[in-house]
Amino acid sequence: MERILEVKDLHIHFNAFAGAVKAIRGVSFHLNKGETLAIVGESGSGKSVTTKAVTRILPDNAVIDNGEITYKGMDLLAMTEKEFNNIRGNEIGLIFQDPLSALDPVMKIGKQITETLILKQKMPKKEAEARALELMKAVGIPNAEQRFHEYPFQFSGGMRQRIVIAIALASNPQLLICDEPTTALDVTIQSQILELIKKIQKERNLSVIFITHDLGVVANMADRVDVMYAGKIVEEGTVEDIFYDPKHPYTWSLLASMPNLDTKGGDELMVIPGTPPNMLYPPKGDAFAPRNHYAMKIDFDREPPMFKVSDTHYAATWLLHPDAPKVEMPAHLKHRIELQLKEAEKYNG
Amino acid sequence: MLKYILKRVAAMALTLFIILSLSFFAIRLIPGDIAGQGAAPELKAALEARYHLDKPLLEQYVIFLKNFLSFDFGESINLYPRRPVFQIIRDKIPTTLQLNIFSLALTIPIGLACGIAAALKKNTWVDYAISAMVVFNVSIPSFVFATVMQYIFCYKLEWFPFLLELEDSSFSLSKFWSMILPILALSFGGISTITRYMRAELFEALNSEYMLLSKSKGLSKLQSTLRHALRNSFIPLCNVIIPMFMNLLGGSMVVENIFGIPGIGSLTSASIQTSDYYLTIAVLFFYSCISLTSMLLVDLSYGIVDPRIRIGGGKVRE
Repeated sequence: MERILEVKDLHIHFNAFAGAVKAIRGVSFHLNKGETLAIVGESGSGKSVTTKAVTRILPDNAVIDNGEITYKGMDLLAMTEKEFNNIRGNEIGLIFQDPLSALDPVMKIGKQITETLILKQKMPKKEAEARALELMKAVGIPNAEQRFHEYPFQFSGGMRQRIVIAIALASNPQLLICDEPTTALDVTIQSQILELIKKIQKERNLSVIFITHDLGVVANMADRVDVMYAGKIVEEGTVEDIFYDPKHPYTWSLLASMPNLDTKGGDELMVIPGTPPNMLYPPKGDAFAPRNHYAMKIDFDREPPMFKVSDTHYAATWLLHPDAPKVEMPAHLKHRIELQLKEAEKYNG
Repeated sequence: MLKYILKRVAAMALTLFIILSLSFFAIRLIPGDIAGQGAAPELKAALEARYHLDKPLLEQYVIFLKNFLSFDFGESINLYPRRPVFQIIRDKIPTTLQLNIFSLALTIPIGLACGIAAALKKNTWVDYAISAMVVFNVSIPSFVFATVMQYIFCYKLEWFPFLLELEDSSFSLSKFWSMILPILALSFGGISTITRYMRAELFEALNSEYMLLSKSKGLSKLQSTLRHALRNSFIPLCNVIIPMFMNLLGGSMVVENIFGIPGIGSLTSASIQTSDYYLTIAVLFFYSCISLTSMLLVDLSYGIVDPRIRIGGGKVRE
């Protein structure tokens, strides 16, 4: 399969008042053409920073210490800002978390969509407008001709997110990065937007990176999943690998703390004790060790490498070391997965 | 919109009426009388009779209002005896206007440029230097500036004349030369105000999400700053710039006095000093009109430049 994007050993820190915050500590992942990669993790785990590095829209106080980002064989980090302006929009499109503040409040919607086409692709105005209308229809905006001349405040949240998607698609990018695109929307609108992204991806054969902390969304959208914790990827695999055969204790905890349809009123949800580490002083060993019920002595001393589970499945936990004691995932999670597998079989069979 | 404007104009008229009444009575509280000290009693009586000052105060007030409503603003008593007040003010406006137009032509571009530079280069030496200038200008009153400049450039260096040249009413190079210092003295405050506003507004706009979006769709930093950040940061600036345009007419009492400029500002102080009742009231009325109109214009301008107010008033359609 053709790799469209490859990130290798990325290290990023932020110069903050209190010192250097090590936000990304050696992240490597790749994205194949036409697939959807979900990056999940709690707030502050470095999901957004990683993708901002890919699109080079990091804030000024962020420093990329190390690493390589290759897009279609081009080294993105070595490019000048001017060269990179041709990657943004043309090759990589970005969808933001908060559509309410992502649009310029005093510019007409139509103009915001045609802007890049006219300024960068030197498209004639008429043609650009026709294309914008086409895009607005494609993302499901009724009365596109009329709404073309309206301002963002005249649109609802869901409609604005559709506009943001239309803007991202305007110059036909091949890679679409969605940074929590549904977090700011209510649930019914959420599923509409997710369906829209899915549909667009199929139609245009886009590669998609989907950032979220909503595991339900992941299961629905992704082909492969990267689980991030404290600036590192701790587990990587296909959706099936992650949801049916998770190996990292952090992934176990995440899955177990998510309610499902079988959760009853009195049931207690699993809680991950403690808080994520302070990234001013990242811990020496496995960053998750202090919150990990299964932590061993070595977890506090040395960082675990990525252990291979299968060709598609990797996890960074010492539990996978041949010398480690055999540890199973928590019983209730195992039970839950078994039930889900049965459901899936019924559904498929 | 029309209804809104009518409402505002009505409110304005009421405000002006209150200001007028207050100034009518307040002016009588100032010590001194129109005839001046040591004037013959006959003269005093004659003057008072001419200006209805021998009648009870309330009756005077009624006469005054009646005249005012028929656009008879009265005559000057002492400063320019018997000349209609309206004429005096009309004759003073051009001088003040001339000076202030130059000052504004200096203030707005420099203020905007400094503000934009400071926001774009925030936390660099450029920003620090501009901020230092702003603090300096804001904390030193214009009359100190004016006197210090007069001392250095007129007295020590002898580059400029002390006072404004008045020989010919037409515009000449030497007249412009004599106007430079007053123009500068009038401009410093405004420059700092605009710089401060511009810096704050633009900095906020530069860090907004829509700037991130415009960057992510491939616009260069220059393009997104010009097309998005500046547009957005100019809207709140109406608040500062429109009143400045209106104040073109008003002039500055202090600076005009220091440089001997026969404008509205110096007229105000002179009329108060000479107990020229009707002239003082008329000047105060003139100032009130200016500031009330500029407030109205500011509010209306938001409705024109900001589509959120112009079209919606916040309505969202599904």
